Amino acid sequence: MLRFENKDYPIENGESVLDCLLRHGEQVSSLCRSGACQSCLLQTTAGAVPALAQQGLKDAWKQQGYFLACVCRPQADLVIERCDAAASHESVVEAVTALAPNVIGVRLARPSGFEFRAGQFVQLSRASDGLMRPYSIASIPTEDHIELHVALLPNGQMSGWLREAIGQRVLLRGPFGECFYQEGELDRPLVLAGTGTGVAPLLGVLRTAARLGHRGEISLFHGSPQLSGIYLRSELETLSDTMPNLRLFASLLSGPPSELGSQGRWQFELAPLDQVVFSRFPKLDSHRLFVCGQPALVQSLRKRAYLAGASLSRIHCDAFAAPHSAAPAA
Amino acid sequence: MSTSIYERLGGEAAVDAAVDIFYRKVLSDDRISNFFDDVDMDRQRAKQKAFLTFAFGGPNAYSGKDMKSAHARMNLTEGHFNAVMENLGATLTELGVPPDLIGEAAAIALSVKSDIVSR
Repeated sequence: MLRFENKDYPIENGESVLDCLLRHGEQVSSLCRSGACQSCLLQTTAGAVPALAQQGLKDAWKQQGYFLACVCRPQADLVIERCDAAASHESVVEAVTALAPNVIGVRLARPSGFEFRAGQFVQLSRASDGLMRPYSIASIPTEDHIELHVALLPNGQMSGWLREAIGQRVLLRGPFGECFYQEGELDRPLVLAGTGTGVAPLLGVLRTAARLGHRGEISLFHGSPQLSGIYLRSELETLSDTMPNLRLFASLLSGPPSELGSQGRWQFELAPLDQVVFSRFPKLDSHRLFVCGQPALVQSLRKRAYLAGASLSRIHCDAFAAPHSAAPAA
Repeated sequence: MSTSIYERLGGEAAVDAAVDIFYRKVLSDDRISNFFDDVDMDRQRAKQKAFLTFAFGGPNAYSGKDMKSAHARMNLTEGHFNAVMENLGATLTELGVPPDLIGEAAAIALSVKSDIVSR
């Protein structure tokens, strides 16, 4: 039995808390339905949730009973509340810029009291109707605005709206995620790898490393089907001018030979991202890794990095949740 | 009974040294890797740690019932079981554990074979 906001709902054996609440007509946000995007975060005030329902949450939140409703199949009765862990902050869209053919940068006013670490992500919701999507933060906390990188999806409800959203009110919930620079190890070699807008949180990690004077070698790998998707070239080149320890690699799946090889600060290769990373780094036992982007690729890179000797505690992942197939497109 | 292998090897620190070597070996072993290829690698690593603690005769939360029900639906063969045993032996050899202690760990793991293998 579930008790949700003082109403009792019978839950079926093997049913998730999310499915049970939706079945009974409750409104609960969700997106990926696989425990990744954290859109469906709820809090239990009595009863134990399975460990799987708390994977990826920070320890303080686990102790306070926060859990992910989509992957929570309880073994016993639960008392559940909507969560206030991540208070909503009001903001407004200040600017929208085209970064690549299918990527826009959305600049938001930074709400007072909104604290985050570069590389984390937020749940952005439209103030008018509550439509919500997760986006990574590409800016760093010393800036007075928040910059999100948004992939434009075909028929995307949120991304389509954001293109024309200057001046519109939005709500930010979060921050979420563990993909941020770890202080206290300036000499450790870092590997940053991401596909598409996965480079946004990596830029945050990189800019933090630059600001703190990271000395270890940093290798950034950006993967995209074609050259036009490698969209932070000049920003990263500018950063590399002040960071002699930074190396930049792009993985392309198609393109003429003239686009490949060494180009300025970049090395362009016609090979999948994992191949480009592991041909350079067959051994990763002393490295820290940050991996962001398509879930299947993130999972594959994580496993291969572990097999190449990286400790799991030094592999930081942010798998970009795609909407569950039953949900409307982003 | 004399002190357990777990204590003679150095307790939890020994398991921590062994778990990543063992988990990498089973993940790379085509005969059994799909049983260990879990999206939640932290959870899977914790399971391997529990298994090694058990095989070392250390304090653990495994019970015969857990062992049996956890493996019941995997349809495991003797070949699968032997592959795990090989990887356990290779892990301990790599760590320089003396052969007699490896034999003791193998004997503990063998003691639950009938709970694991179902065909």
